[in-house]
Amino acid sequence: MICLMILISVAPLFSFAEKTTESLLRFEQPILITSAGQSADVQIGGVLAKRAGLIATLSKNATHQELADKKTLVLVIGVSMKGLGAAGLDLDQEKSRVRGLIEEAQRKRIPLLCFHLGGEARRGELSDQMIEACLPYAQMVIVVKSGNKDGLFTQICAQKNIPLLEVDRTADVQKSLGDIFPKN
Amino acid sequence: MVVAAHPEAVAAGLNTLKKGGNAVDAAIATAFALNAAEPFASGIGGGGFMIIYLAKEKKVTVVNFREKAPAEATPTMYLDKGKIQETWRKSHGLAVGVPGSLAGCAYALEKYGTMNLENVLESAIQIAERGIPVSEIFSEINKDEYEKILQNAGESSVYLADGLPYEPGDIYRNPELANTFRHLITHGWRDFYAGEIGGKIIEAVQRNGGIMKCEDLARYSPIEQAPLIGTYKDYTLYTIQPPGSGGLHIIQLLNIIAHWPVGKWGFNSIEYIHHLSEAFRFVFADKVRYLSDPDFIPVPIQYLLSKDYATQIANKIVPGHLQKSYPYGIFDKQLIDKENTSHLGVMDNLGNIVSLTQSINDFFGSGIVPDGKGFLLNNEMADFSPQPDSVNSPGPNKRPVSSMAPLILFKGERPFLVLGSPGGTRIFTSLTQIILNIIEFEMSLDEAIEAPRFFTYSSEGVGKSLFIESRIPTHILRSLEKIGHAINVRGAYDNYFGGAQGILIDRDKKILIGGADSRRDGVGAGY
Repeated sequence: MICLMILISVAPLFSFAEKTTESLLRFEQPILITSAGQSADVQIGGVLAKRAGLIATLSKNATHQELADKKTLVLVIGVSMKGLGAAGLDLDQEKSRVRGLIEEAQRKRIPLLCFHLGGEARRGELSDQMIEACLPYAQMVIVVKSGNKDGLFTQICAQKNIPLLEVDRTADVQKSLGDIFPKN
Repeated sequence: MVVAAHPEAVAAGLNTLKKGGNAVDAAIATAFALNAAEPFASGIGGGGFMIIYLAKEKKVTVVNFREKAPAEATPTMYLDKGKIQETWRKSHGLAVGVPGSLAGCAYALEKYGTMNLENVLESAIQIAERGIPVSEIFSEINKDEYEKILQNAGESSVYLADGLPYEPGDIYRNPELANTFRHLITHGWRDFYAGEIGGKIIEAVQRNGGIMKCEDLARYSPIEQAPLIGTYKDYTLYTIQPPGSGGLHIIQLLNIIAHWPVGKWGFNSIEYIHHLSEAFRFVFADKVRYLSDPDFIPVPIQYLLSKDYATQIANKIVPGHLQKSYPYGIFDKQLIDKENTSHLGVMDNLGNIVSLTQSINDFFGSGIVPDGKGFLLNNEMADFSPQPDSVNSPGPNKRPVSSMAPLILFKGERPFLVLGSPGGTRIFTSLTQIILNIIEFEMSLDEAIEAPRFFTYSSEGVGKSLFIESRIPTHILRSLEKIGHAINVRGAYDNYFGGAQGILIDRDKKILIGGADSRRDGVGAGY
């Protein structure tokens, strides 16, 4: 297993191009999975992690205290006005919460894994703002291909040398998770 | 001609007409087919309203099959230690109203149709078994409602593909629904209310914390009512009675708008959007203040529909300024619901017409599915106000207020436009705009339906943001902002504003024109 410190330091050495999971980074458990935008996609992330047999805590509105005993932070990106409304948040409050989590993860040297699972339908001005706010801090990005038709993820990952993994279908993320999270 | 929110449902209606069925037969076949092809928006676990025009008798009648509250419902049922429990209203057994769709369709079929239940369920069974390709819209909605489906229907539900949301292009099948329909053919539709299926409904509702009992189901019956009637210039509008509020509010709005030179102002001009927005805010204040189930609390319908009352409101609305407040009920806060519901329209070769709007309320309803039965139960109880002192608070056997507004517009003595839409509280504001697009701006039906829309409301006397489709030019938005409207720009073709379906009868050209909204998966077809 690649230790966490190495993982963070080698991340910039990976090229941005879409990779096979064999050549990708390895992340450690337990995982904190949270939303960046309060779309229901975070639930999909939770189910995929469970199916991959990972030790994960799903917390839609996670605060930085919840990172205390975690070794990986997963942000499932996608803004939903309905979801924000249900959570009693506006977009600025949600951005602030997510920013706090990222800062805490960086302080604790916890790697960040970003998912975009909602495809083309989960893009748009607000989701794109969140993507642009989160992706530059990620150690790796997994995106369902139809959500990257315009190449936004490819472009940001290229600029920041972040490994990007594209999958055809949401269900394919489960296998990728199995590959990048070695069994404890 | 049939218009509906899914091509397979339209085909079901059309096949029924081709086999000799009348408009009522075809409408009901279409409604059942929508349960199979567009399961997230309507179905036998829900309710609705239909307005029927019988050409030979020149009679218009309404069948109200809105859900009812269980007998144990109380005004405080959504409060826990004084705090409103939103989950109880939306995705809990307490959210489920006694379903009316099947009883309403069966009533209309037996009284005004020519076919039997087996005939009108045939296409729906085929669709449920054969399956349909999942559209972008279906997939998007399935993802949005994933948490509720996962929680209440479970990972193995037919509403998920191996426990995950359907992707566009996947095939969605529902063999359980096909079996339920077959069971109804064999055992009769009353089995749903007092038989095996009814038992499964009660079991599912109570397992999820609900209070519905077998007696509630057994007691349910639809109501046949006279239509509500309004006029605008040379046109007469026939629509549904409260607790369906949408039709009443369209008539109110048209009465107010009749005071203004909207044709001269121009389509989606600053003056037009400003004045209509102010009218919407006044009408929303009335909705909260007065609208209820008239079987329990009197609704001052004649007062609200009077031209004098409209004049009073029109006189309060001034160019270039917003009202400081809009009269409102002291009891209630206007709650804005999500996108939902489905509308269909049918006209047969004898001139009979059905305009039918049905719903399970939120997309995928409560998410609760009776075991193995393949249909979703509604969360229509969320249309009641959770505030105990509201006129629209829950009560035993009471029907919640709905924004639905299936309508038929007559020009002189003859039907001219059959129209309706889903869209929650946007239904009546969107339908008003479509009617004006046709009458005042001389648009074709398709142009009128596709044209960019806007919406606003008031709550507790305060005007809310103006929600507006992004196709409306920026300079118009900036001018509206200068007046004081807070602008909230939505998508270009946003299903937040509904998904209207219409049939326009062009008697000069002797043609029927079907119009369906690209904000949903709707189509129209005829032969």
